[in-house]
Amino acid sequence: MTPQLTPAEHIRLWNDFRNGSQDAFSQLYELFSADLYRYGYNLIRNRQLVEDCLHELFLHIHENRTRLGPTDNIRFYLFRALRRRLLDTVGRLNKLDSDEYLFDNAEFLIQPYEQTLVEEQLIEQQKLLVIAQLNKLPKRQKEILYLVFMKGLSYQQAAEVMDITMKSVYNTVNVALTTLRAYVRTSFEQGGALWSLPGSILIYFVKILLG
Amino acid sequence: MPNSDFTVEDFCKDPNFIHWVLSPTDESNRYWQSFMVEYPHKVADIETAIDYVKTIRFREIDPSQQDLARLKQRIWNDIEKLESETATVRIVPWYQRPYWAAAAVILLVMSIGLGWRAYQANSSLTYQTAYGKIQEIKLTDGSVVTLNANSVLKVADNMADRPVREVWLEGEAYFDIAKRKGAKFIVHTPEAQIEVLGTEFNVNTRRDQTHIVLEEGKVQLSTDNQSMVVMKPGDMATVSPKSRQIQLKRVQPDLYDAWKASYIILDGKSLPEIINSLEDTFGVRIKLEDTQLVDKKLTGKLGTEVAEDCIDNLSIILDVDVKKEGDVYIFR
Repeated sequence: MTPQLTPAEHIRLWNDFRNGSQDAFSQLYELFSADLYRYGYNLIRNRQLVEDCLHELFLHIHENRTRLGPTDNIRFYLFRALRRRLLDTVGRLNKLDSDEYLFDNAEFLIQPYEQTLVEEQLIEQQKLLVIAQLNKLPKRQKEILYLVFMKGLSYQQAAEVMDITMKSVYNTVNVALTTLRAYVRTSFEQGGALWSLPGSILIYFVKILLG
Repeated sequence: MPNSDFTVEDFCKDPNFIHWVLSPTDESNRYWQSFMVEYPHKVADIETAIDYVKTIRFREIDPSQQDLARLKQRIWNDIEKLESETATVRIVPWYQRPYWAAAAVILLVMSIGLGWRAYQANSSLTYQTAYGKIQEIKLTDGSVVTLNANSVLKVADNMADRPVREVWLEGEAYFDIAKRKGAKFIVHTPEAQIEVLGTEFNVNTRRDQTHIVLEEGKVQLSTDNQSMVVMKPGDMATVSPKSRQIQLKRVQPDLYDAWKASYIILDGKSLPEIINSLEDTFGVRIKLEDTQLVDKKLTGKLGTEVAEDCIDNLSIILDVDVKKEGDVYIFR
């Protein structure tokens, strides 16, 4: 993830930009372009299209900066703008019904994260199975998980970025958690003492504090 | 708010919890630590929940620094362009600029004189563009010719009234020819004659070769050596310099007329081809020290508004250093 700004910093940077600061505009690009690029590339596997849309997006916000509304989460704001722009472009390209999920080539691939020391080989196997299950979810649902669990958007923001209801977001999160629960149940039965290992809590904290 | 009744799933669904796992801050660390001190029986559940949240981790493809630098350059270039366009609108009235007024008067007198002479001689009008400049010319018959940098267009007088409309081109131009009942339009180049009724096409006569790319409509082409080849939209005709033979090939027309909007499309063009066109546009020389670069395939657009910027951008895309010696840019 790109460096974290506090909501107050988001507001300040965005306001500076809206008031015409070129410096703030540069910062916006430096902070968010890579993240936008990744999201765009997950949605359409076409670098040229993603770049064209990003190009248009940054030109558009620069040109209309005085007319833009306030935000305390610039990532959310730009993600929504980029997604709409990509949807427009893709829609124009395939002229499909707009209710369809247009991002045919979207690929949100869940992958295993680095394992902690306390985990056993067996658990790793279980985890890979769960990840495979999660990857079988429909693309649209995986996009929701991506926005919430990877990009730290709130449910409301994820719903707005994707133009869907809050209900769909909740449902998706529930489905994902059910899948995960199945994994933990088996790991309890088979791995047993995993969660009670005395050192595990400490190790988690050391990891978190070291960032 | 998280409380002592929270289950593993409740934690996983809590946006604050997710944020903390994804990107902990001092503040959130403090919060969750004190939460665990307060509810020790929840520690195991929190552990599990952390594991859940971390399992949902997506593979991401990172854009290269080069991609991002190129994109940034593209955005900033366009912003500058937009701003210089709006800047030129704010012009001080001419009467507040004595020098301009004087120059304008002289120019007016001169052009009346020249125009009169031209009219008397029933000759032609000549348009010429400098390096790096593009000019749009509206002809009296309603046709529009966009003249690329370093090019010359000669236009026969009294276009609108003639049965055959004729122009002569050296360099590169894009023609948008207005239809006129029965009146043919002929573009003469050093190697060929291009005959049309009404259509859009690009003609490039640089480097001893005439290239014609047809956007729409129909075009008839002839040379001293070969009579009448008919082109269809999307055709590119190349007239070879010595034999004056015409060869047709299918192309994407917009790859060849992007210069009108001050950029070139790099896709599918060889680096030498790109360098040739930059040299012709800016009147500079570009040398490649690393001969391996020749085989490099490029994609994307390159703005050609300002010579320096354009060449800098090309060097960024190629990931090489550029050095300027006089009029020669050396890539290495």
